[in-house]
Amino acid sequence: MSPLEFVVALFATSLVAGAAGAILGLGGGILLIPVLTLFYGVDIRYAMGASIVSVIATSSGAAGAYLRTSLGNVRIGLFLTLATVSGALAGAGLAGVVPVRWLQLLLGVALAYSAFTTLRQLHVEVPETTEADPLALRFGLEGAYYDAPLDREVKYRATRVGRGFAAMFGAGVLSGLLGIGSGAFKVLAMDYFMRLPMKVSTATSNFMIGVTSAATAGVYFARGDIHPMLATPVAVGVLAGAVLGTRLMGRLRNTTVRKAFLPVVGYLAVSMILRGLGLGLP
Amino acid sequence: MTGPAAVERTVARALLWGGLLSVAVMIAGLTIYAAQGQPHARDVVRVVRNRQAGRAVDVFTSVEDVRRALGHRPIDALAVATLGLLGLLATPVAGVTVAVVSFWRHGDRQYSLIAAAVLAMLCVSLALAGGG
Repeated sequence: MSPLEFVVALFATSLVAGAAGAILGLGGGILLIPVLTLFYGVDIRYAMGASIVSVIATSSGAAGAYLRTSLGNVRIGLFLTLATVSGALAGAGLAGVVPVRWLQLLLGVALAYSAFTTLRQLHVEVPETTEADPLALRFGLEGAYYDAPLDREVKYRATRVGRGFAAMFGAGVLSGLLGIGSGAFKVLAMDYFMRLPMKVSTATSNFMIGVTSAATAGVYFARGDIHPMLATPVAVGVLAGAVLGTRLMGRLRNTTVRKAFLPVVGYLAVSMILRGLGLGLP
Repeated sequence: MTGPAAVERTVARALLWGGLLSVAVMIAGLTIYAAQGQPHARDVVRVVRNRQAGRAVDVFTSVEDVRRALGHRPIDALAVATLGLLGLLATPVAGVTVAVVSFWRHGDRQYSLIAAAVLAMLCVSLALAGGG
């Protein structure tokens, strides 16, 4: 493969990863790392460095567009980022103390359960808010956006905020301990615990993943894991893909986004359980 | 426009323009690299497949290295691309900083403090990463 072909292939792959990441609230690493290592033969450390760049590029492109259209909620994002970043700091401090395999197994089982619950509410377009959560009222965890497929303004307010905050802290601890991105857990916590519309969950996750990744990006840079010749086509492709993804998401139903998200949770659950059992998946 | 909506638009602009400007600098760096006819450009595939081969030649690991390389003439194209990368990595931090100021300006002290707390934790993370 010539250098030009390599760069063009990387750009095209990153375009798809960016679009998928923007719609699903993930950084694209879940798609990029296996593709870079398995199909392009890129060294795993460079692939992980490119992945962290892709998370931030997705976040910049997608969160920028989502916040402008009120699909992303900066208040909810910042409030929950408090939990994930403090959890990640705690997790980093616990590294080497807590048995990682048990955690991976626990996380895998929790994800499998989440996949099951997501399956049960697969056809819920906009969750009904039945309880007025005092924390949601206190911190103004609510908003409204115009939903094009429904052709109406959708108003929402978070519920079970305490549980959502605790889940985010847990996701942050695991992120710090295992060195994994936690976009999927953020989306699950907002969708399942806090009963936010799925599109609001993924859009807000896009804002949050950029902030939490920025906390660890310096480590990858200082280690020399971010190669400019790899990271540049990835960043350009992912940013362009993220902007395209945001346009596409405006036309999608919440149920469609949830259906697309389910296989990702399933894959993560299986991957974590296998790793916890000492087996491996890419 | 309401306070939260105005803040969201300001943060959105910071994130989007930060991302776009950073990527523009990265593209400029690689374009210069290709135009200079660097011999290593032929080895790009090999380089990213072999970390040791790539690391010695092409990868910067500190801001000081990048700053020093930017002073070289002819210009170090990969230092330009890495400058764009650093801009991209700093964009979310800039977004949170803009949120601190923007919430404060709209009279939302509570969320200005929450954003400031997130920013402080990011700084602690970066300091710990630097120390590690």
